[in-house]
Amino acid sequence: MSSYGYYIAIILVYASVDAMACMGLNLEFGVAGISNFGYIIFQSAGAYAAAILSMPNAASSNGGFQKYVLGWHLPWPFPWIGAAIAGGLLALPFVFIVGKRLRGDFAAVGLLVSAVLLNVLVKNYVPFLNGDAGISLVPAPFQSHFNPQSLSYQFAYGAVAIILTIGVYFLVQRVTESPYGRSLRAMRDNDIVADSLGKDLRKQRTSILILGGMIAGLSGAILVEFITLWAPGAWGYAETIVLFAAIIIGGAGNHKGAILGAILVPVGFEEITRYLPPLGNPELVPALEWVSIGLLIVLFLWFRPDGILPERRRILSGNKNAPPPAPSAADDESDALIKIGDLQKLNFRELLRLGEPVNDHRVILSTNALTKTFNTVTVVSDVTIAIHQGKLTGMIGPNGAGKSTTLAMLAGTLPSTSGQIFYEGKDITSMSSDKRALAGIVRTFQLASEFKKLTVLENLVCAIPNQSGDTFFGSLRGKRYWGAEDRDNIERAKEVLEGFGLSQYADAYAGGLSGGQRRLVEIMRALLAEPKVLLLDEPMAGVHPNLAHKIGDQLTKLCEGGMTIVMVEHELSIMDAFCDPVIVLAEGRVLAQGTMSELRQKEEVVEAYLVG
Amino acid sequence: MSSLGFGLISAAVLAIATVGFTMQFAVTNVLNLAYGSIMINSAFVSYYVNQHGVTAWVALVGGVLTGAIASWLLNRFVYTPFQRRNLAPITVVIVSLGIDLMGTFGLQAIVGGGFVSFTQNQGSEYHFAGLLLSSLQLIIIGICAAVLVGVHGLLKYTRLGKAMRATSANRSLARNSGIKTNYIISTTWLISGALCGLAGTVFAMNAGVFEATSAQLYIVLLLAAMFLGGPGEPYGAMFGAITIGVATEVSAAYINPDYKDVIAFVVLIAMLMFRPFGIFGSEKTN
Repeated sequence: MSSYGYYIAIILVYASVDAMACMGLNLEFGVAGISNFGYIIFQSAGAYAAAILSMPNAASSNGGFQKYVLGWHLPWPFPWIGAAIAGGLLALPFVFIVGKRLRGDFAAVGLLVSAVLLNVLVKNYVPFLNGDAGISLVPAPFQSHFNPQSLSYQFAYGAVAIILTIGVYFLVQRVTESPYGRSLRAMRDNDIVADSLGKDLRKQRTSILILGGMIAGLSGAILVEFITLWAPGAWGYAETIVLFAAIIIGGAGNHKGAILGAILVPVGFEEITRYLPPLGNPELVPALEWVSIGLLIVLFLWFRPDGILPERRRILSGNKNAPPPAPSAADDESDALIKIGDLQKLNFRELLRLGEPVNDHRVILSTNALTKTFNTVTVVSDVTIAIHQGKLTGMIGPNGAGKSTTLAMLAGTLPSTSGQIFYEGKDITSMSSDKRALAGIVRTFQLASEFKKLTVLENLVCAIPNQSGDTFFGSLRGKRYWGAEDRDNIERAKEVLEGFGLSQYADAYAGGLSGGQRRLVEIMRALLAEPKVLLLDEPMAGVHPNLAHKIGDQLTKLCEGGMTIVMVEHELSIMDAFCDPVIVLAEGRVLAQGTMSELRQKEEVVEAYLVG
Repeated sequence: MSSLGFGLISAAVLAIATVGFTMQFAVTNVLNLAYGSIMINSAFVSYYVNQHGVTAWVALVGGVLTGAIASWLLNRFVYTPFQRRNLAPITVVIVSLGIDLMGTFGLQAIVGGGFVSFTQNQGSEYHFAGLLLSSLQLIIIGICAAVLVGVHGLLKYTRLGKAMRATSANRSLARNSGIKTNYIISTTWLISGALCGLAGTVFAMNAGVFEATSAQLYIVLLLAAMFLGGPGEPYGAMFGAITIGVATEVSAAYINPDYKDVIAFVVLIAMLMFRPFGIFGSEKTN
């Protein structure tokens, strides 16, 4: 009977530790999109930290048979707190790898290789953490007062572990369901676009890597003080893959899924193999275990990529009972069906908080000899332009003329090779794109750039700048702190959505919309980012011509109200109707500028573009 | 000086492996982390052929074929279908990690955990410009050099090679210019797979004794060599592999050999942090 009891207590501890670790990894991978292939080293850092903080000085204890640093002999809970801190501190060096310019899979292998090599170092350098043999005889909390081997102690330990796991669940849930969590998921779906909307990717990734590392560290502490030993063999890089398998199977992005995955994979596999009769060679069962984990990862990613408990779709419209709209057909035919809503009635100035119209047509954005070179190919060469406030400036030119590249350099998505960019009199050439977005320069993208796994409404709301719940600490303060403001923001976004006639899609995933609808989402999102200068890269491509002209009317009105717009567009009727002045680019240079009717008189322009 | 000899052999083996690895990345944009498991499976096929009385050098062909076929199948039936779904690139990398576990531990489940070695003569020893090399090692270096020259010829002088380079530079543009990119990608995986099988077998021969998990950490060296030369650049891979191979072995003479791979790690992290497009490369337009 009591052996049953011990067994249950052990499982409770293991399940809590794995669930906690999986939630930390899920916050990083499932929510923020950081593929931390080295996650296990954060758990290990916590385990070692708890061990050496709770153990007595190495030289004096047990005849000094093992070597380790510190040995401060701290009472509980300090070793556990220290473990969480160690896990968080370990995140700091990796901030340089998950920095914003590196591809996600490159960063992931960087973390994987770091985990491998850290293991090699700890294994071989004995004086640090006793090398390959590992640390043993880690004291259990309060072991001088209670007997750690007693059933009641083990159950009490399990209970503490479960309470802490529940606490971690509420913590990660609080971050995930806040406006900050929305920004994290936006970054996961498309980091370059999130950056262009003013999200500081490095800061977001740093905070999440630290929080995830602290959670991993705490889980390591709980484990090590229960099993009393820790060695490099326990944290090979492949252990991270087990946790990834757990999250993929349970449901990435869903913390309940992470808990389920933890119970199914690390705990489940451990327990099942306990009951298998010994077969074949001694390596057979563990080898087959690894094979099954690999197989499960591949099968789940193919047949059920969202896992057993998929990420929940967030209904922001308040319309909880309405059935989710059928994802519209992927073909753009359906754009004809878009009801052109009350676009005319919409008062953008009020909605977008543009303030009183100021329209003095001064130069707001300008470049001086802006140049971009890839490898040896010069794509944009010596472009000097001035954009006037309150104007809808068009940019045309044949394919490959450098229009999108110029736009990207203005927004900061691409660094320029040489030349300067000035905004409101200040040199912003070296300002990062997220800072530019917050300063008022917002762009859209030529290719589809919606946040696929955010609903349409979430796509819009997440663009609104300066939300009090959109910082790490703001999210920790909870809904009471940011809730009212968020409801306000949602109302604003709903009005814009209604104006564009897309209300019925408010709670649909943006990734399921047709091409034209996604363009509209992108325009609405850019407007909600409260731009002073709006850079639009072929915004009307795939949009129904009727609607395109209504949007054009609205853009003109916005300009009258003081907004400045630069629009790259191939559709000449749009240029004719709305843009003045128009800049013509060809082969990376400014060929001409002026009104469309002036340009039509110029032979070189007609030759370069208008006819061909 | 003998460490330089070891360095040359490791570098030669690493060069073949990295060229194959980087070619796969170039044409399909996949970091195939299952590469090491195909290497060791190929080595075991060669080993079993060798155990049936065939000389190791002929058995090598079995390893090359295994690598080629396994890599082709992997791309055709796993990576390509996943890529068609337009998932985040990281999904395919996670899939490749899953495949790596299946490949390595599936092999271990079959052959068990013991070490094995090829039945072959190490050959006589040669003193060569101050280096001490066995004839086995000389042959390995010779094969590697010949293969690298062959890859160079393929890429530079054949239509297939040009089509490969075009496909890796810009797949859709290559397709629009009339190149059958699917055929080129398949062929690239066959060739790079053959390099993988060859590298696995000579790696095992050079190691002397090996087991199912021997190549598990080889991916660290592969990644370091590839990123040093620039991902997707076959010539960069040769440069990176030779640098990493020689540097790790030579450093082993001066520091604790247990730490010799640390230099590869440092190189890899530095490259990722400062020049993820390689030491000679530059940003790509896409």
